[in-house]
Amino acid sequence: MAAFTYAPAIVLLPFVSFLVALFAGDRMPKGGALAGITATGGSLLLSIWVALTVAGGGYHNEFIYTWVAGVESVTLRFGLLLDPLSALMLLIVTLISFLVHIFSLGYMNDEGETGLPRYYAGLGLFTASMLGFVVANNLLMAFMFFELVGLCSYLLIGFWFREDGPPSAAKKAFLVTRFGDYFFLVGVVGIFATFGTGLFAPVTQNGEVVAQSFPVLAEHAVVDGETGPIAMLDTVGLGAQAWFTVLGLLVLGGVIGKSAQFPLHTWLPDAMEGPTPVSALIHAATMVAAGVYLVARMYGFYAISPTALAVIALVGGFTALFAATMGLVKQEIKQVLAYSTISQYGYMMLALGSGGYIAAVFHLTTHAVFKALLFLGAGSVIIAMHHNENMWDMGGLKDKMPVTYYTFLSGSLALAGILPFAGFWSKDEVLYEALIHGLGSEGGLATAYVLAYAMGLLAVFFTGFYTFRMVFLTFHGDARSDTARDPHGVRWNVKGPLAVLGVLAATVGFINMKPVAELTGAHIDFLHAWLAGPDEGGWPAALVTSSHHYEELLHNVAGVAAGEPLGATGTLLASAAVSLGLALAGAGAATMLYRGPDPVEHTDKLGGLKTLLMHNYYQDEYQVWLATGLTHPLARAMDKFDQGVVDGVVNGISSVSLFGGSRIRRIQSGVVNNYAALLTLGLVLLLAAFGLAGGWF
Amino acid sequence: MIPAELYLLLSAALFCIGLFGILTRRNALVFLMSVELMLNAANINFVAFSLQHGNLTGQVFALFGMALAAAEVAIGIGIILVLYRNFSDVDVTKATTMRW
Repeated sequence: MAAFTYAPAIVLLPFVSFLVALFAGDRMPKGGALAGITATGGSLLLSIWVALTVAGGGYHNEFIYTWVAGVESVTLRFGLLLDPLSALMLLIVTLISFLVHIFSLGYMNDEGETGLPRYYAGLGLFTASMLGFVVANNLLMAFMFFELVGLCSYLLIGFWFREDGPPSAAKKAFLVTRFGDYFFLVGVVGIFATFGTGLFAPVTQNGEVVAQSFPVLAEHAVVDGETGPIAMLDTVGLGAQAWFTVLGLLVLGGVIGKSAQFPLHTWLPDAMEGPTPVSALIHAATMVAAGVYLVARMYGFYAISPTALAVIALVGGFTALFAATMGLVKQEIKQVLAYSTISQYGYMMLALGSGGYIAAVFHLTTHAVFKALLFLGAGSVIIAMHHNENMWDMGGLKDKMPVTYYTFLSGSLALAGILPFAGFWSKDEVLYEALIHGLGSEGGLATAYVLAYAMGLLAVFFTGFYTFRMVFLTFHGDARSDTARDPHGVRWNVKGPLAVLGVLAATVGFINMKPVAELTGAHIDFLHAWLAGPDEGGWPAALVTSSHHYEELLHNVAGVAAGEPLGATGTLLASAAVSLGLALAGAGAATMLYRGPDPVEHTDKLGGLKTLLMHNYYQDEYQVWLATGLTHPLARAMDKFDQGVVDGVVNGISSVSLFGGSRIRRIQSGVVNNYAALLTLGLVLLLAAFGLAGGWF
Repeated sequence: MIPAELYLLLSAALFCIGLFGILTRRNALVFLMSVELMLNAANINFVAFSLQHGNLTGQVFALFGMALAAAEVAIGIGIILVLYRNFSDVDVTKATTMRW
């Protein structure tokens, strides 16, 4: 498979562009942008080649480099895992990154920004880290690139470091995600200690498994009771399934931090301080997607633990609703988009938790396209508005910038989930999976799913509302400021990426039109076929990462079952109709309220509730209180204990030797005769001792 | 032939005289002489045992001991010169700057 030989170049090309932009960006035209565009373009082409090879039944899972060779213990290696999931993600990341690089020509270069080499170096490293994370075949490598992604987000969010806001937002993003990553790291160590490997899928040679993967080992332990290769169970005193749930939840900590799920979502709205193309990259393809991708990557491990699944579904459903309500009242265009990102990643988590693996990957794909589009569109508006982001100063931009308007509208329809745009198909599938599994499963799992479904469904209405509130305030009505009356023009390098993504946002949903497939019986649910892999033959080891296998695990081990009270087709259509109806209702409400030449702030009528929403439910305040009111006094008490008790013991011991030394040093009188006398005395004593021992006397 | 025990007694007596000198005298030159006495006590032992065993190795060793003593005197005198230059005296109990 020639494509797989060149696959490492997908990661290395953006890394080279990082080095080039960093060291030679000053001397290059466009501040190193061309290097980045070339590199990501090359990566995009290679990714397409890899995807085509994977589509032809190709599969690749090999080690590249061993950096710690363990003897009878854990060996740490770098390796590539190229299967349908990672091939799809490679396409998304390289495409979005390529378009973001081009857009940056308009947003950064044309606006006369300084520090461009630093900016393009950051973009290159960001892309390279995410691609490395996507192709990683083991958990430790994934963790390392996960951290690199976090570092790059820090560098890029704080790009305008001379102002007050960006450095503080960058620090917040870094610290909040690091808080989650702390649990992730503990989870990684736990998984290595338990299974002795961090592989996502088994490595095979000539059909023989040479290195087993941890989800498969966990599956054997739970299903067949083969706990032989599993360590740690006796140490922690838990059953296999309970301990795997603990490990899965620890890793989930990192996911919640990176994918901005409640309660670690607070960094994401602040991250809007960074340049808008960076926001597009963070939200659509790289940083925030990394968390959800990680769960999908090791889905076999979560699929055997109903508790972990229920937690993921509840966190996702709650976040979807919670973030959507905050998006209702925001005044800055990028803030609305930020909360919509949190909300949409909540949907993906909801899908993963409720057994909709394909739905989650589908929503990840469509969301990457339409959220990148919306951010780039917002970037275009921000250029036009001379970097004023307040929607109440906009209005009437529809006629002044038609390309931006129509592409933005395409993205908005996709975000709101209106037929036939991309978001409808994926969001509908997410909710459908949650619904049928909520109806079909039993016990606590069913309750969790139904609750998560209800929250997700309610969020659909809010999504439609805030999306169209944003569209109407920005583009419709009369211009409400001088800059809006005479906006700055944008060039091809802004319109080009918008056009590409605008078309994609309308069409990318067609890769998986499940309702249509059900109705007509045609096999047009391509994503299902793609993630399921070939029915027979093909890649034996890869079968453990296929969606077929995940569905079996979910059904047999976790007890996730589908219930369809109206029959398969009926339930599907009913679910689609309900979610579409709610989305239209939300969009319609926004249209009614904010249409017209001079809209007013209708959310003022919410009164105290609006204040609560504007302050994000006081999430920041309580987290700051946690730090200053709880952690700080605790740390001070610890410091007292350390300084007083621990240091006291240590100092006490040392003072004994200090005192002893001060007495014994008096032998050093400086008089040579004394030394001679001591020597003689010593010799005599030695002789006497030897004599006694030797029996001379 | 004189028995070896007498030589050993002579050697022990010489060693003890030298040791006594080192422990009680304060003059550095007397120190040096005392050290010479102790060295020669050892030499006598070598020669005595050489005679006892009818083996020349001990005598050769005694010659080495004398050469060593000569070298030691050269260095010893040098040290005493420096001592005198620094403390204007050859009394070893005066030179007590290297102490606690």
